[in-house]
Amino acid sequence: MALPSSSIPVLTVCGVSKSYGARRVLDRVSLAVGSGESLALTGPSGSGKTTLLNCIGGVDRPDEGTITVREEPVQALDSDALARLRRTHIGTIFQFFHLLPTLTAAENIELPLQLLDVSAPERKVRVAKALDRMRLQQRADALPGELSGGEQQRVAIARALVHRPALILADEPTGNLDSANGANILGLLHELIAETGIALVLVTHSEEAAASCHRRIDLRDGRIVAGP
Amino acid sequence: MSVAVTRLLFRRFTLRHAKLAPRSTALLVGILGLGVAVFVSIRLANRAAVSSFANFTDVLTGQSDFTIQAPAGTLPESVLPELRAALGARPVDIIPLVEETAAQARLETRSTPARPVTYTLLGVDLISLANLAGERSADGGYFQQGPGAPGSRGAGKGAEEFWKVYTAGPQLWVSRAFAAVPPATLDLVLGENVRTLRVAGVIPTARGAPPAPATLMVLDLPQLQALVGKVGRLDRVEFLVESGPRATERRAELGALLEQVGHGRWTVSTPTTHRESAETMTRAFRLNLTILSLIALLVGLYLIFQALDGAVVRRRTEIAILRSLGVEERSILLAWLAESALIGLLGGAVGVLLGWIAAQFAVRAVGETVNALYFATTVHAAGLRPGEAALGLGLGVAASLAAGWWPARMAARTAPAQVLSRAAAPAPGRSRSSELGLGIGLILLGTGLCRLPPVPLPGFGRFPLAGYAAALAWIFGGGLVCGWIIPALAHAARALGRRWAPARIALSHLRRPSGRHRLAVAALHCAVGMAAGMAILVTSFEQTVRGWIDHTLQADLYIGSEAGASGTAQSFISVAAMDRLVAHPAVAASARLTLLPLNFEGVTITLAGADLAVQHRRGAFAWVRPPPDEAVWEPTRNAALALVSEAFAERFHRAVGATVRVATPAGAQTLTIAGIFADYGNERGTIMVDRAQLRKWFADDRATHVSLWLKPAADAETVRAELRREFPGLAIYTNVKLRAEVLRIFRQTFGITYALEIIGVLVAVVGLALTLTSVLLDRREELTTLRALGFDRHELASAAALEGAGIATTAVAGGLTLSLALGWLLIHVINKQSFGWTLSFGVPWGQLAAVGASVVATGILVSYVVGRWGANLPADREE
Repeated sequence: MALPSSSIPVLTVCGVSKSYGARRVLDRVSLAVGSGESLALTGPSGSGKTTLLNCIGGVDRPDEGTITVREEPVQALDSDALARLRRTHIGTIFQFFHLLPTLTAAENIELPLQLLDVSAPERKVRVAKALDRMRLQQRADALPGELSGGEQQRVAIARALVHRPALILADEPTGNLDSANGANILGLLHELIAETGIALVLVTHSEEAAASCHRRIDLRDGRIVAGP
Repeated sequence: MSVAVTRLLFRRFTLRHAKLAPRSTALLVGILGLGVAVFVSIRLANRAAVSSFANFTDVLTGQSDFTIQAPAGTLPESVLPELRAALGARPVDIIPLVEETAAQARLETRSTPARPVTYTLLGVDLISLANLAGERSADGGYFQQGPGAPGSRGAGKGAEEFWKVYTAGPQLWVSRAFAAVPPATLDLVLGENVRTLRVAGVIPTARGAPPAPATLMVLDLPQLQALVGKVGRLDRVEFLVESGPRATERRAELGALLEQVGHGRWTVSTPTTHRESAETMTRAFRLNLTILSLIALLVGLYLIFQALDGAVVRRRTEIAILRSLGVEERSILLAWLAESALIGLLGGAVGVLLGWIAAQFAVRAVGETVNALYFATTVHAAGLRPGEAALGLGLGVAASLAAGWWPARMAARTAPAQVLSRAAAPAPGRSRSSELGLGIGLILLGTGLCRLPPVPLPGFGRFPLAGYAAALAWIFGGGLVCGWIIPALAHAARALGRRWAPARIALSHLRRPSGRHRLAVAALHCAVGMAAGMAILVTSFEQTVRGWIDHTLQADLYIGSEAGASGTAQSFISVAAMDRLVAHPAVAASARLTLLPLNFEGVTITLAGADLAVQHRRGAFAWVRPPPDEAVWEPTRNAALALVSEAFAERFHRAVGATVRVATPAGAQTLTIAGIFADYGNERGTIMVDRAQLRKWFADDRATHVSLWLKPAADAETVRAELRREFPGLAIYTNVKLRAEVLRIFRQTFGITYALEIIGVLVAVVGLALTLTSVLLDRREELTTLRALGFDRHELASAAALEGAGIATTAVAGGLTLSLALGWLLIHVINKQSFGWTLSFGVPWGQLAAVGASVVATGILVSYVVGRWGANLPADREE
């Protein structure tokens, strides 16, 4: 896939290291992702992919190095500022969807907008659009437990994108779906990224998913062994 | 096989988890310990209060075989030669006794009455007792000036020493527990007089007898008779059968003989029946306290359930792995039950220890109530018997096993595939309509049970079993119905969810409450309902008692002996003293009252002799059923009439027009009930007759109480001070001070009840915190998601706080509704059936609002703290 012509850096990771006890999970990792760009993070289990994703999202903190999202240094932010960064600039998609089981599909999608104090009428319009884009209009009032895996992941993608973040962090978004559903979800994700210019970091084991991204970085034992 | 695996699981997992989380294990043990402690402390305090009603003669004689006493009043000494003649040459010792209450003299001039220390003075024939000394006294000397006694120059021995002490004039012996070194003299109030008595020595300990309590003092019989105006009279006579091979046979023969010789002039009792009478007298009171104490255990049981349920949630993955490795359901069930039992055993041990400590405090509160309502009790410490310790341990284990059974079952049934596959989204809870149906059914059942009569207790008294069952049915039924209110509340607050994201999360959970939510609501609803219901009972009681004392306490001064403080203590004021009291120039009118214990149909009640006409004229009666005509007020027409208290009418099923038969020294009197009056100061029941009749029957004009109405210009405090200077042995209350004293005793009676209720509410609030902890642990993945979506810690904590607020608000709404029903039940069914008192229904709206608001506020605060903790839980990592 070709890189977008005018790529503004959204995410920069510079010399990030992380250890759990004696075990070094990330070792001086550096990378950058621009707007509209998609980056696949691949590697075997335990290579540090999800740890890197957690550090980028501010859920975990690196021991060394810097991470900036939209020029905000993630490691310098306190817990509440990190929460504000996530709600404003980051959207997250999980392998196991992690929809809130007690909220309907529409309510799950609406939640990030509510956190940003978007007015109720605008929320309504944007949720309706998101449901329409995901072809989920008929399932708006269904609870997650009543949705299929593919539907759940589409709701999760809608929820990650509805507040128009600068960066999407996707952790194995197709890992829990059959190949047909997985392909559909990936197609949808790339379409949306192309439309909105959002940067995507995709953690995956899947060759097809990695190949669908503009760039790919392969991690082994916390180090980049292939890629830029 | 499964036992070996269970042992392995217990050793490798259960014990290791306990070691890894010692604080939460200790908390769990502590919570259960608290529940057990409340039960144990009340049980020990109850037993101690009742056991103090021992026969004081046991201290001197070991234990008598039989006691005779007049149904009311005293026996003439002339029964002694009659009894000796009837017994002939039988080897039986006869011990005549006089028992009197005395108070420690106080030099107080204030009208605020502090309760005086009272003592039991036992008058025994020291000569006949000395004859028993050789075989019964453990420490040799018998009623001599022993070591430590003032003026003693070593232990005196022999007949000469004995006679010297015996003939030395009025003197008394005190117990070793009274003082290590007894004083030379003691100032004691006897009747209206303060007497200075010489302390002769220390009461010796009889072989096999309990040690003398601190409040027992012994005098020679004739000396005490002279001191208290009972010359020629005896309170009771005790009999000891000489031990030997035919002792049992001889005892049976003696019992029959005493009944036969008595011809109804006296009642015959054994030590067993004596003790039983104390137990039956206070049974309803003790049962009520025991049931209240079980509430804390019930709520504690719920907490154990919550905590173990939370542990199952936390260790679900571990269980699933074990299951996938081939461990059977049964082994997992047994391992969890073993964990419950271990917690129960430790909690029980802690509970027994804490309970014993708490009993040392509770025994005073229980003792004060028993003292005020039933009989003189002096106990200040509660001992622990091995059986009671075993009961506490057993209760802890049983409660913990009962609470742990469901979580253990859930653990055993953990589906490995479901848990190990993280894709499975936990389904929100769903209310089952069957629970609503069961809840409504239980409420209807409770309503039906209210109408059932009480269960008669063996001996005396009634127990409102159906009333308590109704309360239980309403508590459980209400709890189930409350589970259905949560979604309604969430629906009502939906607008808040649209405005604020944390509210949306909280309301989404409340809209579909889980079993844990419903259980938390049910427990808190139970605690709030019971606490508020008790507040309604106390308010109603207080309102009724206030109305009663406003109506009946019309005199300006109330006078009794300082020594007549307890429910059964008798201390007379002499006729001469009464004449001087009423002759005070400020006195406009007076009424005298005599209260005597009366054996009626096998139980002790009160026989009262009052100046009925004066009391009636002064409006001193609060009527339940007023007399139909004026006959009862006229001494010429009321010889065969009586008034009875409501408690008497309820307990003995006697209405106006029914007859009662009262045994008196002048023979049995058959009296017709002319009216029923309210009396909230005596739950044993009272038969009241005109004093003129009582004087005739008992040939005694003394009274126990005098009421004085003063002239308009007189100042009650001034008159009181003057009378008090003249009669330092009399307790004199002004109207205002007596009202305050009545209400003080009243509040003290309910003090322990309040303490038990507060413990229940506290335990339930801790339960709410544990519930939310389990719920948040269960939703760890959701917390991760919310954090990823940008929720900060305050918002996560706010969501938890709102969820807690929803639970607490539902519980408070349901609990306050329940409290109105329970209040009604306690007042109109349980109290009426237990004590026979009619109470008006008063609702302390302000107090209920305060209880509700404080529970909701505490619930929100506790939930916020738990939510904040949840927000800091480490994120799930997957690699």
